Amino acid sequence: MIETIKQHVAGLLTEKKIAGFLGLIEKNGHVAPHLFKDGESLAGFTLGDRKTAGDARYPLNKTLVTLSRAYPEETFGVLVRGCDERGLYGLFRLNQLTEDRVIPVGFSCPAELSEACECRKPYPDSLVAGEKTESSQLKKVAEMDGKDLARRFDFWTAQFVKCVKCYGCRDVCPMCFCKECSLECEDLVAKGDLPVEVPVFHLTRAMHMADRCVDCGLCDEACPSDIPLRLLYKKTAQIMDTDYGFTSGLNKNERSPLSQMGPAK
Amino acid sequence: MLDFTGIEKERLRARWVSSAEAPEFVEEVNAFIDTLKELGPSPLKAAVEAKKEEQKEAPA
Amino acid sequence: MEYKTTLTTCTYCGCGCNFYLETLDGKLTNTIPCKTSPVNEGKLCIKGWNVHQFVQNDRRLKKPLLRKGGELVEVEWEEALAYTADRLKAVTAEKGGDAVGFLASAKVTNEENYLLQKFARAAIGTNNVDHCARL
Repeated sequence: MIETIKQHVAGLLTEKKIAGFLGLIEKNGHVAPHLFKDGESLAGFTLGDRKTAGDARYPLNKTLVTLSRAYPEETFGVLVRGCDERGLYGLFRLNQLTEDRVIPVGFSCPAELSEACECRKPYPDSLVAGEKTESSQLKKVAEMDGKDLARRFDFWTAQFVKCVKCYGCRDVCPMCFCKECSLECEDLVAKGDLPVEVPVFHLTRAMHMADRCVDCGLCDEACPSDIPLRLLYKKTAQIMDTDYGFTSGLNKNERSPLSQMGPAK
Repeated sequence: MLDFTGIEKERLRARWVSSAEAPEFVEEVNAFIDTLKELGPSPLKAAVEAKKEEQKEAPA
Repeated sequence: MEYKTTLTTCTYCGCGCNFYLETLDGKLTNTIPCKTSPVNEGKLCIKGWNVHQFVQNDRRLKKPLLRKGGELVEVEWEEALAYTADRLKAVTAEKGGDAVGFLASAKVTNEENYLLQKFARAAIGTNNVDHCARL
């Protein structure tokens, strides 16, 4: 799989279709984001799989936004999984990236990873290598919904109270790009207070993620308190889907119901 | 989302009332107050305090 | 176009979390926790997440400050060191070594911290040594 991607990227670079390819590199015994600039230098290129598949993923789209803000005229290639591509579509929709300035190079996730993520679409449209897999969805959400109100209350209060307010979930999120963040607005979130206001702090973020979250799970992995944030955002996504038939980044060019006037479809 | 995190969804109500409809507004607020009285105080505050104490006793 | 990620260790405390500092054309743009680091496993605290912000900040102090007439004034290192040495001598001569204390920093090397405590204990004669990262 990796060789096919390498060849594809080398082609893009030598044909000068892209100014650089944003991917991952094996460096100093670690996996790091890297901008590959010529086809020859693809040694060390990796897909971010270490002990298990996808355990060394990075928010490449976030870096891509930084890059294209500095070089708006250049076209970049970027390594994407299904979730990353949903992120790209979301960022096109929210005017943070220009579609014709980005060439996604996609690969699919193995069944084991798709299942662990309960991924809606574990393969990108721009599939260069890998097989399409399917997975069961919203299993963990259904499990949570199955518990009674008191049990849910107990569970989430215990989770939210662990928060150390590191803002890691926001900082790692490829869909968080706002210059002013509600979570830093002192009228909403008291500065220097711990624990955060339960459940307001986390639900505020969940609300803001409603039409953005592409379910990449990086927030879950970045949380030092192991709060199951992904489960929370999966629920918001489920509500968006059942009430409005919208899933962030699932279809290119689809507009968010939250930015449209008129009755729900 | 409140429901998902275990808080009675009856505790939140959003309704549009025109500024010209004062009686309707009063009725709405009174009805909400009645609902809240029925529900009683939220267990949230006490639960957060209790969890905080638990954390102090057994640091992760 | 020069995009680089540099693997480094957090300077804020003794945990030693690893992260990448992202630079674009020589300017720091972001901090990304290292997923494969056995120390922090892709997680960081709020200080770590914002570590790139102080390095090239306009408000960062680049020269020593000396309080003159109640106000902090920027001075040259020569003057600051001479003043410090004078005061250290004066205070220790009058009231002994325990009248002063030393605060070390996580933002310098181990060797420099070693030197500081050695200086405190051997030259000044006090055990009043502490460190900002003593968690």
